[in-house]
Amino acid sequence: MDSKKGSGDGGRREAWDLPREVYLYRDPSSVTLRLEEVSSYLKEILGLSCRVRDEFFAHHGRDLEVLAQDIASTRVRELARRFEPFEPVYGEVQFEARLLEEPTKRIPAVLYDAYRSLAVMRDLVPRQEATLKTLHIAFGHRLLGTFGEDGRYHARTVVCGFPSVVSTSGLVEAPAKPEGYYKLKARLAMAMGAIPFEAAKEPYRGQFLDYDDEHLTGVAKGYALQCAIYHIAKEPFCEDPSCRLFNAHRQSEMLTAQVTSGRLCMEHSALSSRIRDVITRGGEPDEQSRHRGRRNGHPS
Amino acid sequence: MPIFGEASEAEVTRAILAGFTRDLNEYAETEVIVVGGGPSGLVAARELAKQGVRAVVIERNNYIGGGFWIGGYLMNTVTIRSPAQKYLDEIGCPYSQYSKNLYVTPGPHACSKLIAATMDAGAKIQNMTSFEDVVLRENNRVAGIVINWTPVQALPHEITCVDPVGLECDVVIDATGHDASVIKSLEKRGLAKRIGEGGMWIEKSEDAVVEHTGVAYPGVIVAGMAVCSTFGLPRMGPTFGGMLLSGKRAAEVALKELGRKPKK
Repeated sequence: MDSKKGSGDGGRREAWDLPREVYLYRDPSSVTLRLEEVSSYLKEILGLSCRVRDEFFAHHGRDLEVLAQDIASTRVRELARRFEPFEPVYGEVQFEARLLEEPTKRIPAVLYDAYRSLAVMRDLVPRQEATLKTLHIAFGHRLLGTFGEDGRYHARTVVCGFPSVVSTSGLVEAPAKPEGYYKLKARLAMAMGAIPFEAAKEPYRGQFLDYDDEHLTGVAKGYALQCAIYHIAKEPFCEDPSCRLFNAHRQSEMLTAQVTSGRLCMEHSALSSRIRDVITRGGEPDEQSRHRGRRNGHPS
Repeated sequence: MPIFGEASEAEVTRAILAGFTRDLNEYAETEVIVVGGGPSGLVAARELAKQGVRAVVIERNNYIGGGFWIGGYLMNTVTIRSPAQKYLDEIGCPYSQYSKNLYVTPGPHACSKLIAATMDAGAKIQNMTSFEDVVLRENNRVAGIVINWTPVQALPHEITCVDPVGLECDVVIDATGHDASVIKSLEKRGLAKRIGEGGMWIEKSEDAVVEHTGVAYPGVIVAGMAVCSTFGLPRMGPTFGGMLLSGKRAAEVALKELGRKPKK
């Protein structure tokens, strides 16, 4: 993904896609995720008025059986092989149907191809909302992955697109935990043949986000912001480790950006205030934006 | 004065025969057949029997209990992650807490308690009996299984050309472990598919096994390690909580399939 390098002003004003409607979708499996606070944060930073909706599939899904089939067909069966379309087996479809009926359940140990999952979701969005004037940010518990250049899938915290998805399982599983945690886990496993996970986590408590963590809402604000900035300016990430748009690969980096710092860098702060100004004026650019556009040779 | 009362050889033979044929007659047509007598299969059968469901466990070995006798690496302490230790309370098996969420108990104690509890609940067990195939009905729904004596299968076909027999039922639970034998037999016919097991990821695999326990094919519920190979889930390490709770889940699903409401 692009960083702010060389484009920290968020690109040309006329290239922005300012949403008129913003929908946040709940993840009923995450009891510590308070979307109303995420909504207030997007209002504060970007001036976006958000509406909170039920879980994405519960809101948009219609034919349960068909939807279950579509979701099951996005499962990643082999981590070290590029995705190839397949016909899901009966039980996989039944499994997805059960989860659609019980969205409070969290799915463990199943990875879904991120872009195929987004395609399934995109197809469910009604035509009047399937426009760049509408921003959909879905929080969900499914673990999404993308196939990397190293020839294997990697779990993702966020997948920006249409809609954008923040994976609450991805926030826990995708960024690497402290190295010592993995070493201790391996040592305990060698010693006793089974892993007391809580014991392995204990020395590192607070150094990573866990399921039902109290920091989840704080972290979710930053990732929702990444989705929104991506939608508007097509640049979700920043290179500054203390900026909320930093693309963290480690839990420590994620917590630094989202909790310890909890702020935007100067450039993205300026960008967000320009976006906020434009949005609060109803989408019309102000004089400053016009001048900036002329200076850059991009009349707005 | 002899210690034991008098009984002739013929009487002993007739007693064995009578008991066996009574049971076989009963489960030749039953409600649920559990294929595999490991921890998940036993729990499923026990839970169903507690609900008044006629359930029989088919086990290919002489011994019942599968891998529940020993933990990892041939060491006979088995580990169970919370909340599955509550099931040990239910069957009256003592255990101790190793760490916050991990409990340990001697495998022989846990396994023998579970076998006894399963039979006490009213489930039948048929050991030394191998699953050979499925019985298919309309729309290829599974409606029973074909069985044979394990020793017959163990010998060359030229020596033991013994036809199997069929048992009918409403639901089959495949608790055959890594083999997922029932699903495998459907796979041979091109009716189902085993995706194969993924790498070991204990932290998530127990949850995944329990959540994936369910109908894998019309008339067939998968439970225990058969779930891993059916759905391509990560393998579990030597920890058994997932097996116990998967068995419990399988019984819940079977009840639903039978159209029965669980008794409180």
